[in-house]
Amino acid sequence: MEPITGKALVLACSAIGAGLAMIAGIGPGIGQGFAAGKGAEGVGRQPEVQGDIVRTMLLGAAVAETTGIYGLIIALILLFANPLIGLL
Amino acid sequence: MNRLKKTRNQIVVLSLVLGGIIALLLGIFLENKIGIVLGVAFGTLIAILNFIELEKTLIKASKMIPRKAQSYTTKHYFIRYLITGLVVLISIKADYINEFGTIIGLLLIKFVIMITNLFNDKEYFKRIFRKEG
Repeated sequence: MEPITGKALVLACSAIGAGLAMIAGIGPGIGQGFAAGKGAEGVGRQPEVQGDIVRTMLLGAAVAETTGIYGLIIALILLFANPLIGLL
Repeated sequence: MNRLKKTRNQIVVLSLVLGGIIALLLGIFLENKIGIVLGVAFGTLIAILNFIELEKTLIKASKMIPRKAQSYTTKHYFIRYLITGLVVLISIKADYINEFGTIIGLLLIKFVIMITNLFNDKEYFKRIFRKEG
């Protein structure tokens, strides 16, 4: 059996790290869906304030969405532009 | 609905202005001028398109029954997430686009929302420094 090289170890750990970073993308999706469901309930109760409800939801959802992008960026950098390999 | 459209337009215009300023400043001080300008422009435009898609999704979801609205919004979130992933991947793979410029552009919309809706509110700062009790 061939010994594990340092580069192979870094690549394997980076792939695991990328997978773990992608978990960050699930949370905003669930949260946005939950908020939209509650927003739809609110519009059902008071249809006249639909604009205000959607506006508040839009701002919150847009800010929450960037949190998922952080994880995505880390995962893609670890997979395709890994800075750790250059350190070996 | 007019207030919603006004907010949307304000955020889109401010994102474009801030993206332009950041691209100009980074273009002046960094070596790869065209790459960084292209990166920031690419990221900002995709972020704005994602924001408009989010608005359309939420308007449509607010007219649905809650259970359906939940699944519809989550489904569209993952479509936008996939688009963002493709954009970052393209900017990493393409040599003529700076990936950090793209990342700055994609995250710009968050800072614009914070500047226009949170940091312009004096009450927000008063609440931070207010003593409890």
